[in-house]
Amino acid sequence: MRTVEVFFVIIILLGAFAITTQFAVLPSPSQAFGTNLRELSQSTLETLDAQGTLSQTVFKDYNDDAWGDLQKALSASLPPNIVYNLNVYNLSTNLDGVATYHLEHSIFDANLGADSDASSLLVTSPDVTFTQDPQKVGESTDNPITLYILNCSDANGWWITGYTGQSLAADVYNLLSPYFTNTMLVNSTYELGLLLNGTLLPDGVESVNNAVVVNTFGEAVPIPDDYCEDGLNETEGFDPTHDIENGGTYAKYFHTLGSLTREHNWTWVSIVGYPFYYVTNTNNPHISSSQNGYGIYGMDDVRQVGINAFLQGLDDAHYSYDETGTATEVGVVNLTPYVRDDRCNYYGIYPAPYQTSSRAITEDILDDYDLIANQELFVRPNDNPVTLYIDESDYIPVTTYRHTERGALTAIGLTRIPDIRVTALALLVYYNPTIYKTVFGASGTSVLVTLQLGQQGGT
Amino acid sequence: MAGATIDHMISLTILIAALLVAMMTYNGLFATAIDYDRNRQVANKAIDIINTICLSPGNPTDWGEINGIVSCFGLQDPRVGGYSLSPYSIMRLNTGSQLVEYPKDSGVFYNNISTNCGDAILTPIGDCVNYTTAAELLGVNGTYGFGVDITPTLNVNVSQVTTNPHLTLNVAVSGSGLPLSGATLRYYLFHMESGSPYPYITTHPPNPPGVAEIGSSGSVDIEFSDVTSGDPVYAFVVYASLGGVNGVGYHANNTIADDTFVVPLIDGYEDGYLNLIFAHSWEFLHPGDEATANYNASFYTLASDFQLQRCVIPNSVGLVNSTAESPITTQIPASETGILIVSYNASDDLGSIIVPWGVGALGVSASFGGDPTGYDFVATELRQVTIDGISYHVKVSAWKLGS
Repeated sequence: MRTVEVFFVIIILLGAFAITTQFAVLPSPSQAFGTNLRELSQSTLETLDAQGTLSQTVFKDYNDDAWGDLQKALSASLPPNIVYNLNVYNLSTNLDGVATYHLEHSIFDANLGADSDASSLLVTSPDVTFTQDPQKVGESTDNPITLYILNCSDANGWWITGYTGQSLAADVYNLLSPYFTNTMLVNSTYELGLLLNGTLLPDGVESVNNAVVVNTFGEAVPIPDDYCEDGLNETEGFDPTHDIENGGTYAKYFHTLGSLTREHNWTWVSIVGYPFYYVTNTNNPHISSSQNGYGIYGMDDVRQVGINAFLQGLDDAHYSYDETGTATEVGVVNLTPYVRDDRCNYYGIYPAPYQTSSRAITEDILDDYDLIANQELFVRPNDNPVTLYIDESDYIPVTTYRHTERGALTAIGLTRIPDIRVTALALLVYYNPTIYKTVFGASGTSVLVTLQLGQQGGT
Repeated sequence: MAGATIDHMISLTILIAALLVAMMTYNGLFATAIDYDRNRQVANKAIDIINTICLSPGNPTDWGEINGIVSCFGLQDPRVGGYSLSPYSIMRLNTGSQLVEYPKDSGVFYNNISTNCGDAILTPIGDCVNYTTAAELLGVNGTYGFGVDITPTLNVNVSQVTTNPHLTLNVAVSGSGLPLSGATLRYYLFHMESGSPYPYITTHPPNPPGVAEIGSSGSVDIEFSDVTSGDPVYAFVVYASLGGVNGVGYHANNTIADDTFVVPLIDGYEDGYLNLIFAHSWEFLHPGDEATANYNASFYTLASDFQLQRCVIPNSVGLVNSTAESPITTQIPASETGILIVSYNASDDLGSIIVPWGVGALGVSASFGGDPTGYDFVATELRQVTIDGISYHVKVSAWKLGS
């Protein structure tokens, strides 16, 4: 009886073995190796086009000898056991922007086996030049706008860790000058004084009206000597009646800046942190010896009064010393889908998609100073009781605030280190200049070349 | 009772035998799976290595043109990008080929990227990146072995057909075993003639290069009607191109059997220039000919469309003798690919050498890395690249070290 049971066990064992071997078909260890055909194909296409030969050939007539030369080149350059199939697709785009591919021509040397792989290369015609011309800001209204970039050699920056105002000025110039008819660097606080007086003008420009002024010194704003204590315009810059324990305040200077922004219809740009928090002038005797509490000399703090004074000036209100806090920390914020997916691609500017906003500005200023917030670049965080932040959703991380009558303020309420690309993107989103591009998908300008390789004779 | 016991023992024996068979079978299955997985890892490592080598320039990116320490290994040409290799970085690889010591008994050894002394400018091995360093920088030291073979895609063979009534050379171009009919050739002949005291070099044609086309048989004869001497001394360089694939070949003919009287060595990098020493081959090849040699050297940079442009170099003529006490030095630009041609008179005979700076200029091959002999499984990966516009194949072999 036990023999019968054992035979049953043996049958079960053999049955299990048979079923296992039937379904568990393991590859041979030698099959682990096989040339990566896709990357070999990619390197073949790139080397054939290294000197433009492939680009020239695929746009030629099919009866041209160049096609024969290309076939010989493929045969000569690929190992003998590799077979190929090269296809050329014409690329065109319809009015809706949908790209379509039509097979135009093929060359091959043998039928591909079951094991094949392919790569592709988008080739543009050597007879076509692709261009990208940005529309100048204000051009559409026959009102060209000048871009002024503060590049003062006698000023220090704060919250621009890792940079200087001058290096950021160069970055702003490179990013934004193509979009403006005139771009002018303001190289000293003296020149800034000329700008505030309305006399710093590029050749052929009659007034400073409608300009954009980018302050690259972070939370500090350069101040000309005339607006400092004992200066010619002291009454427009210095307020001795407040912050008396520190010898007075320069909050009035920011009120003046706000008034001038309104008068000339400027857009004032603060690239990082709390706007208008300090004034800076490393040569003025009243400021050069004072420091901001962190060892940066040539700087005097105005604190949160600064932005309030600026907004009062922008709103054509009288100067009033207001210590109300306007900005606060709201934590990590993300680019809005529209900005990230549309505007970034359109202008080719890609800042980090999520950043920390430590100086987001309360939306209360919209009602208090008759402002309208333009497209916000970052999504406001939801109120989160877990965090220490209060009413995060009421604060705007980054946008341009346009006064209902004249003037605007672009405030980048992000933390240091500054990402100057956000500044550029904020201005471009605000002014929305058009970019005139040659369309890559226009018929006859681009073709897609695919090279499929197969391996014969196994591995 | 005894029958039942026997019955029990037999059935138990059969059961144990069946279990053993099943276990052995499953062990075999598992072993196959493990082998496959291990081999797959090796194959993936080969892909990693070849991508790193071909698509990264290393650090510093211009390490082939300076003699600084390499902190990251890669051979990509940073000026071109893509599948393009630096012609200079390859020359700083210690290929483990024939080493020469100069000066004699100095302990300073020089490396040749090719196997034959005189096929390339020799590099001091102290400035070279050796296999161990490269393996450490690639993160495979002690775990995987690898080898790199860099070979021209096209074979361009040049042979002398006749010198009577004038010099005729045959150029044959092939790739993957196929003759490449229709390929366009651009060529230069550097004809060396005796002078007093230094030989002189004339170029045929002067510039631009001569042009020919490979016939249907895969070769073509090129005649030089103004080179009529019975045994001319010359160096011939030809660039072949067709459909985006480019190759180069060269051929030299001397009247001196030992054609390495003058050997160029790299003596360092300085302000964008390469310091060279013209050493006497007697220092390396004992026994050799100790005769002094009057030389005439020219450096030609490789411009676009494979045109050569002569570059003025210091000490372009001089006397090389067998003592290394006051070696002849010269300089060539470190970031310009080209060929150095040296013609010399020695023992009343005329000789020449032609060596590249940058492997692409003369289509030199290079092999670098370990020896896979004895390993069960070696994975290889192949890519097509360009070096100075010349088409090359890069093959990387990888294998697992240890058990």
